[in-house]
Amino acid sequence: MSPVAFKSAVDDHVLAELRAIIGDDARVRPDQSSRAFRSRVPAPFPVHRWADHFPDVVILPRTAQEVSEVVKLANRHRIPIVPRAGGTGLSDGAVPLRGGIMIDCKLMNQIHEIDLVDRTVTVGPGINMLKLNEELRKYGVIYPDDPASYPCSLVGGRIGTGGWSLLGSRYGHTRDLVISMEVVLPTGEIVEIAEGGGRKLRKSSTGLTLKQLFTGHQGTLGITTQATLELVPRPEVEFAAFFAFDDYMKAYETTGILTRSGLATLAGVVLFDEWKIAYLRRDDEAYIPQPDSVKAVVAVAMYGRKCEVEPASKEVMRLGRSAGGKYLGDEISAGDWASRHDRYATPLHGRDLDGQAVLMSWHCEDAALNYSVLPQVREEWHAIVARYREQYGIFDDWGMFAYTSGPYKPWADYLVEIDVGIWEQKLNDENWAAWVSCKREIAEVSLKYGGSITACHGATREGDAELVPDEMGSAWPVVKAIKRALDPNNIMNPGKQSLDEAYE
Amino acid sequence: MIFRLGEQTPPPAKRITDTVIERLEHQYEVDPGLMQITPQQDMPVWDSRRIFNARWDHLDWMHAHFADEVLLAGEESETMPEEHS
Repeated sequence: MSPVAFKSAVDDHVLAELRAIIGDDARVRPDQSSRAFRSRVPAPFPVHRWADHFPDVVILPRTAQEVSEVVKLANRHRIPIVPRAGGTGLSDGAVPLRGGIMIDCKLMNQIHEIDLVDRTVTVGPGINMLKLNEELRKYGVIYPDDPASYPCSLVGGRIGTGGWSLLGSRYGHTRDLVISMEVVLPTGEIVEIAEGGGRKLRKSSTGLTLKQLFTGHQGTLGITTQATLELVPRPEVEFAAFFAFDDYMKAYETTGILTRSGLATLAGVVLFDEWKIAYLRRDDEAYIPQPDSVKAVVAVAMYGRKCEVEPASKEVMRLGRSAGGKYLGDEISAGDWASRHDRYATPLHGRDLDGQAVLMSWHCEDAALNYSVLPQVREEWHAIVARYREQYGIFDDWGMFAYTSGPYKPWADYLVEIDVGIWEQKLNDENWAAWVSCKREIAEVSLKYGGSITACHGATREGDAELVPDEMGSAWPVVKAIKRALDPNNIMNPGKQSLDEAYE
Repeated sequence: MIFRLGEQTPPPAKRITDTVIERLEHQYEVDPGLMQITPQQDMPVWDSRRIFNARWDHLDWMHAHFADEVLLAGEESETMPEEHS
C-alpha cells in the first residue's frame, strides 16, 4: 500500500466547503501572498524551489469545532493538513511538503482562564509567551517557557515541536509545562489529553500517559486547540555570570562543575567553543575587544527568590573560577544573557571564502548529547562543516554551544548546536543537495556517539528525517503503528519524520 | 537621490581589529572593505545612535520582563583591557 496522502486536490468545490465551515471568507485564503508567507520558516529554505512548498489554501480558525470540521473534510478528500503557529521553527515542521490545507492558529490566541489557586493558565494555541506573561505579571506569576524565539513563537508551535526552553533546567521545557490539552485528532475528533482525566493534575496513574505523545510530534498526530499550562512564581531576581577561558577543555570542565553543583536555582549553563568566540569577535560588541586569550566562554543564569539566588551567586562566582575561568564583567554578563531571549532579532550575515560579509540565513543543527561526548562531537562537526565550506563556498561555521538540557537535572544532558550560515541567494539544486548531505553527516555523528539527532528543532527535514527510523530502532514499529492508528489516511503533516513508512 | 549627511556625518573611523572599525564611541562596525558584496548605506550619527540606544532599551526591557531585579556580581571584568572596561 502506498502512502495515501498526496499532492493536494484543493479545487473550487473544496474551497466552497471550507468557506461554508468557516463562514467568513477572510479566514479562508487561497491567494498567493497568504500562501507564500506561510510556506517557509527561519531555517535555511530551498528558496530556488519556494513555490513547491506553498500550501494550497490557508485557514484561520477561531474554534476547535472549526478545526475539527476542516480536518474531517480533509479526510473525505484525502487532502494534506499542515498545522502552523508562529512559523519560527528551525526545521520543517510547519513547512508544507505536499501542499494541502494549512491551519494557521494565530486567531486562537485567547487567555481562557487564569487559576491562581491551582496555579494554571488555559490558553489558545495562537498566543505568544511574551504577551501571555505581560498579562500574568500583574498576578505575580509567569509561564516560564523561554525559547530563543520568545518574542515571536506561539504556544501551539511550542507544543507541536516539543520546544526547549532556556530556563528548562530550572522550570522544565514545554512538555513539562503543559498540564493538559484539547486536541483535534487526525480524524477530526476533539479529545482531552491530560494526566488521567484531570485537566489540572500534574500526575496520575490512570490509563496511559498520553500527554507526552501529543507534545513534539511535529504536527503529525493532531492539532492542539487549547492548553492548560503551569504557572510559577515570578522570579524576584535574575543573576547571570559569564566566564572566559584560554582553553576549551577548561571551560568544558567548569561546565561540568557548575551543572553538578546542586544549586536549585540554576536555570542554565552554556558552553561556547572556540569557533563561536571567533564568530562573535567579528560582529558582537561584547566580544570584539576581548583579548586573544579568550578562547571559550561559560555562561550561567539563575532565577528565583533573592534569599536563594544571592548566596548561590557567590558560589557560582567561586566555581566559575575554579578551573581558570575569568569573569567577563557585569555589563557583558547581564547584557549578553538578556539578549539570549531574542536571538531572532540578530541580523544575519556571514563571510564568504574571501572574508567578505554576505547575507546568510542561520541554521542551527541541533542534537541531544551527553556531557561525556561533547569534545569529540565538537571536533567532528566542525570538520564536516569546514569540508563543505571549502568545497561550496556558501557555508560559514558560526561555532557551537552546548546548553544544559535535562529538565530539573542539568548535569548530564545537553542541547548542542552548530550554527551554520548559508548564503541563500546562491542556492540551487546542487548546493541544496550539498546542504542536506552536510546535515546528514552531522546527524550521523550524533547517532554514532549515542545521542539523538535533535533536542528541540525536530527531525522533519531531509537530511534528518531519513535517519529517524535508525534512531528509533526497535521502537520504530511502535511509532508507525501509533501513526497509522491515529491517522489512517496519512493526512496530518505528511512526509515528515519518515512516517510515510507507516503506510507501506 | 543623494542623501545629505551634513553635520550628521560620522567622524573618521578608528581601527579596532583586523575586521572591525569604530566611528562612534562603543559602536563597532564591520570594516567597509569587507562589505563590497553588500555595501553598507550611509547612516547619519543620530540614526546610528538611535539604533545603538534601542539595543540597550531592548535588553533593559528583557531584564524587567523576566524578574523584578537584576542581581550583579559587582565585579570588574578580568579580561577586558582597561580602556574598554
